[in-house]
Amino acid sequence: MKFLRVNMTDKTVTVEDVPQEYHGLGGRGLTSIMINAEVPATCDPLGPENKLIFAPGLLSGTNLVNTSRLSVGAKSPLTGGIKEANAGGHAGDKLGKFGIKAIIVEGQPKERKFQILVIGDDSTELIPADDLVGIGTYATSDRLQERFGQNATIVCIGQAGEYLMTGAGIASTGEKDQRSNHAARGGLGAVMGSKGLKAIVLLKPAGKALELSDEKILRAASKTFAQELIQSPKLGVKGSQHLYGTAAIVSAVNEMGSLPTRNFSDGNFEPSVDLRGEKLREIILAREGKVGTRCMPGCTIACRNLLPDESGKPIVGSVQFETIALVGSNLGIGSLDDVATINYMCNDFGLDTVETGAALGVALEAGLAEFGDIKGIIGLLKQIGEGTTTGRMLGCGAATTGRVLGIRRVPTCLGQAMPGYDPRTLKGNGVTYATSPQGADHTAGNAFGARKEVNPLGTEGQKQLSFKLQNIAAMLDSTGMCLFARPPIISTPQLMLDMINGIHGWGWTMKEYDNLSRELLRTELEFNRQAGITKNDYRIPEYMREEPLPPHNAVFDVPDSDLDTIFDDL
Amino acid sequence: MSVDIEVFGQLLPDQPRRRNIDISEPTTVREVAIKIGLDLKLIGLVTVDGVQSGLEDSVQTDSRLCFFPFIDGG
Repeated sequence: MKFLRVNMTDKTVTVEDVPQEYHGLGGRGLTSIMINAEVPATCDPLGPENKLIFAPGLLSGTNLVNTSRLSVGAKSPLTGGIKEANAGGHAGDKLGKFGIKAIIVEGQPKERKFQILVIGDDSTELIPADDLVGIGTYATSDRLQERFGQNATIVCIGQAGEYLMTGAGIASTGEKDQRSNHAARGGLGAVMGSKGLKAIVLLKPAGKALELSDEKILRAASKTFAQELIQSPKLGVKGSQHLYGTAAIVSAVNEMGSLPTRNFSDGNFEPSVDLRGEKLREIILAREGKVGTRCMPGCTIACRNLLPDESGKPIVGSVQFETIALVGSNLGIGSLDDVATINYMCNDFGLDTVETGAALGVALEAGLAEFGDIKGIIGLLKQIGEGTTTGRMLGCGAATTGRVLGIRRVPTCLGQAMPGYDPRTLKGNGVTYATSPQGADHTAGNAFGARKEVNPLGTEGQKQLSFKLQNIAAMLDSTGMCLFARPPIISTPQLMLDMINGIHGWGWTMKEYDNLSRELLRTELEFNRQAGITKNDYRIPEYMREEPLPPHNAVFDVPDSDLDTIFDDL
Repeated sequence: MSVDIEVFGQLLPDQPRRRNIDISEPTTVREVAIKIGLDLKLIGLVTVDGVQSGLEDSVQTDSRLCFFPFIDGG
């Protein structure tokens, strides 16, 4: 394995051997520990001292199922702390097959010009991207695949990243119907824009997969892993995740009074019946779209979809729960077609739908349009792509929008918007939002799936639950594994170890791997501390402690002392 | 007494998703589930009036019961 170090100041690319201290790291583990080691915590996230790191997981580039997610890390311009976001698609798998452990993008061009990084088996080069400046992620991917071949994988930013908007994400192509997979959160698209990097093109690698240390152990573990996924009542071909996608949970989250509605002012959205996974499947099948498609090679869960309009023309792939919540119910929108239209626009501009949905919710509360007014909302969204002053405000996320418009009800933690679960009625997620070094991010430790262990409306046990979930998420994020594939690993952790040891031959024990995950969290917290983030910043917004959320009229009442001590045993 | 019930996802695909049924009092979530023909092994989550509930929880008249399959966070 090797590092590719890309210097955007002098436009050079160097290939490095992987230093010993990074051998056992991958995905989020690698990006966060490298950032802590190489990036000054107090640096300007959009300046030359920040670094943008792309890393496949420890299991990526193999023939294992559900293990090809690409991690992207940097100091976040949105939270001011450390950030990792990961995406499905083909990029993680290809980097693994190229033998690239990380691409480290550093420096900054002196003039505002954009480049494309083209990576093949034998060469890596930076070439001008002049003809791609100002265009969206779909057209950028199309043009680059026309130029470099349909087998090329494209990782790119849209207008939002070019404009350095802190709600910008990074898009990555995947399977045919899933052309837009986003490392969405934390404004990493703005960091890529600040480096003058419009796109990375990954050509088709000649090598098929990583060299394996112990194929027998790996094969046995991977077979069991895949079988358990396929037979799972939740994840298998008869499971809700496959049949309805992540939208399967819209009804449950709404029923439990946790669905963000009209800028987090209600937990129950009456028209949510038209946003449900069941409705989504019905519409897609009636229009001959696609359900049960996959974003990455070998995925057995296949939770993605492709929603066409009434004429059969694809609107977007894939409509997912978080997007339905943030740009649907949160904006008072009760139509999946409207959600899909907003989703497409966000994808094309290269925007995080969670951050943008939350920003728009704040803007609607301020009166820039009415809740449910799709024309008004699309008009605001267009301004992001055009880079108007209002558009730049919205594109920089909910916290910026709230500050500019004088709105106090801003659903963020560490400056990052909350995803699709109101923390007043799913308090375990509230603890994760508040305390994660990643800011409000459900993937850092989602308590929804653990609802049987702890009463989501109560305060007791939330701290312990969130701690456990954050540790598991850190562990999985280092492997390239999709979080949905975690059940077999949680029930049989040895499976994960056998897969890692079968590939790399490290002979890890569970205790050693657990220590690595804990070290990752400690490192992220330490980076944030050095960046100036204090314990008083790890909080749920004050209004959520005061304002009861209908229909349960719950407030977030987990005591600060629990938030302050969650990592005491790390 | 009667209760409103709604089933989601792939549960009971050949029956109406939402209906009102009469049940004898006192009763539990489990008894309601059996009465409508649900396979208990396929139930991932139950809510009663929007509150996460267990199979042994009692059911009051005019309650709304929702039965979900196994689902996971988005």
